[in-house]
Amino acid sequence: MEPSVSSPIQLASEASVDVLYLQGSWRLDRASTIADAVAALPLRPDRACVLDGSRLQELDTAAGFLLFHHLDEAGYAAAAIGTRRMNEHHARLLRLVHERMRCAPVPAPLSSPNAVQRIGKATLRMLRDLAEHNGFVGQVALELAALLKRPGLFRPKETVSQFESATVDAIPIVVLVTFLIGVVFAYLLGVQAQRYGATIFVVDGVGLAVCRELSPILVAVIVAGRSGAAFTAQIGSMKVQEEIDAISTLGLSPIQVLVIPRLVALAIGLPMLVFVGDVAGVAGGLLISTAQLGISTTAFVSRLHATLDLSAVIIGLAKAPVFALFIAMIACRMGMSVPRDARSVGEHTTATVVQSVVWVIVLDAVFAVILQALDI
Amino acid sequence: MDTVLRVDSIVTRFGRNQVHDGVSFCVGRGEVVALIGGSGTGKSVLLKEAIGLLRPTAGRIELLGQDLAAADEAQMNDLRRRFGVLFQDGALFSSLSVAENIAVPFREHTRVPEPLIAPLVGFKLSLVGLTPDTGAKAPAQLSGGMRKRVALARALALEPELLFLDEPTSGLDPIGARAFDALIRALADSLGLTVFMVTHDLDTLWSIIDRTIALAGGKVIADGPVGAVAASDNPWLKDYFSARAAHGGRDGT
Repeated sequence: MEPSVSSPIQLASEASVDVLYLQGSWRLDRASTIADAVAALPLRPDRACVLDGSRLQELDTAAGFLLFHHLDEAGYAAAAIGTRRMNEHHARLLRLVHERMRCAPVPAPLSSPNAVQRIGKATLRMLRDLAEHNGFVGQVALELAALLKRPGLFRPKETVSQFESATVDAIPIVVLVTFLIGVVFAYLLGVQAQRYGATIFVVDGVGLAVCRELSPILVAVIVAGRSGAAFTAQIGSMKVQEEIDAISTLGLSPIQVLVIPRLVALAIGLPMLVFVGDVAGVAGGLLISTAQLGISTTAFVSRLHATLDLSAVIIGLAKAPVFALFIAMIACRMGMSVPRDARSVGEHTTATVVQSVVWVIVLDAVFAVILQALDI
Repeated sequence: MDTVLRVDSIVTRFGRNQVHDGVSFCVGRGEVVALIGGSGTGKSVLLKEAIGLLRPTAGRIELLGQDLAAADEAQMNDLRRRFGVLFQDGALFSSLSVAENIAVPFREHTRVPEPLIAPLVGFKLSLVGLTPDTGAKAPAQLSGGMRKRVALARALALEPELLFLDEPTSGLDPIGARAFDALIRALADSLGLTVFMVTHDLDTLWSIIDRTIALAGGKVIADGPVGAVAASDNPWLKDYFSARAAHGGRDGT
């Protein structure tokens, strides 16, 4: 065999042993070259083998491991591999590698679950979620009952501060969104109505749609994204920092301290925000009606007064506390069930927003069906 | 002995808060060096400056012969492959399994053939004293000590010449901490590693450290073998090293 300087390893047969000359730089950055060269050797595991270090310049553990790994797979017994003319440092390193790799079987590759397993897992998780949620609702109900017995447990300060951040601070974005929806809705309705010369009916449409459906849904979705996410993130990071445990150890109920103030704040605040949304949405409709459809402000207001049933407004406002209850309960439970690692805070926050928004829409549909059946 | 890390009259200021006021020291190849100092003396800041995450206000840091202030991004990247860092809580990527965490440097920076990555990861795990079945776990399932070992395996993946450790034994129980110390010393000896660590742990200092550098008031107040540093007259160092003696006294009664 012709000697090649570039090859990292060379085999020479001597009387009773095969000598493997390790050559040049045996480092991780040449891993693929080394692996190829080692794999190409005509090894005979029935003979003993000696690693010769006289031509070796550098050696690291990864390269040493690649060699031993291959020799091992080729069927060499550990005792059949010797070394010679190795400098002290390289010999020590090879010894370490050889010693550690013997107790190192390949870790099992992570199995990625198939479709059936995934569906099964998701189903189980959903059932567990549902059960946990029911448990949480029960806990909160018990604490609310305790609150009725001992009103002193109520935390007005915390409630007010949650009310401020969930309601008062949300007014600008609620006004902006509902106003724009009022504008868009009135505009689209106006284009249709103008064809029949029935532009005045835009007032009926805008008033009814905004107050009964659009404002409650939009406001609930905004609050779910804004306050729901905030609740989960706040409570979740408290959970991670063991603050919840600290609250319990101080003899306080985490539900009284954290959940009920948020629940009450949202249940009071959401209807108020819906009312703000009603006004802003109608104002958006008014803007388009006067500017585009030639309806005077007086005509708009008197038509609205004549056609918009008070019941439509009340229905819209009545849905709001129900939405608020669901959002707050989902958000707080998601926060409370964060395990002790930071990544799940993010996952649970996302889950809160998704679940809250879905539930708001589902509830709205349920309301529509019930009210239809009741003929309201 | 050639110098691996040279810190030369470093000054660091955050706003009006002066952290370092002319810090200078060297770390030679193969040494295991500890940086000690009270809270707020800028140990961690110095560590971050040494690995190029922060820039000192003034002064010069030379890492593996390269002036950090003069290094461009490509040179920095070459440099980063030659040192490993163990962050305080391990800083494992929580969305990846343990094995995937260790495989990241191999996949990103080397051309190790794909079928060899899994065995190599298993070997790295056993090098830091973990069983290969740890590889399938998620970082969140590990205890503090195991997390640090995994992080050490990841830091050692690219065969660094220099290892930076930020409080390697904090948060470990005494037995786990001593085992981790022994592991670091054994690896440093057999791999010929240079180790630079920030620590608070007196037991670490006495057991595995070649040289101790003490930081106080923005300056190096002591630099030498731990025995010499402990014998210093500096009041803070006296307090620091007598903390253990005081414990011993109470335990004895």
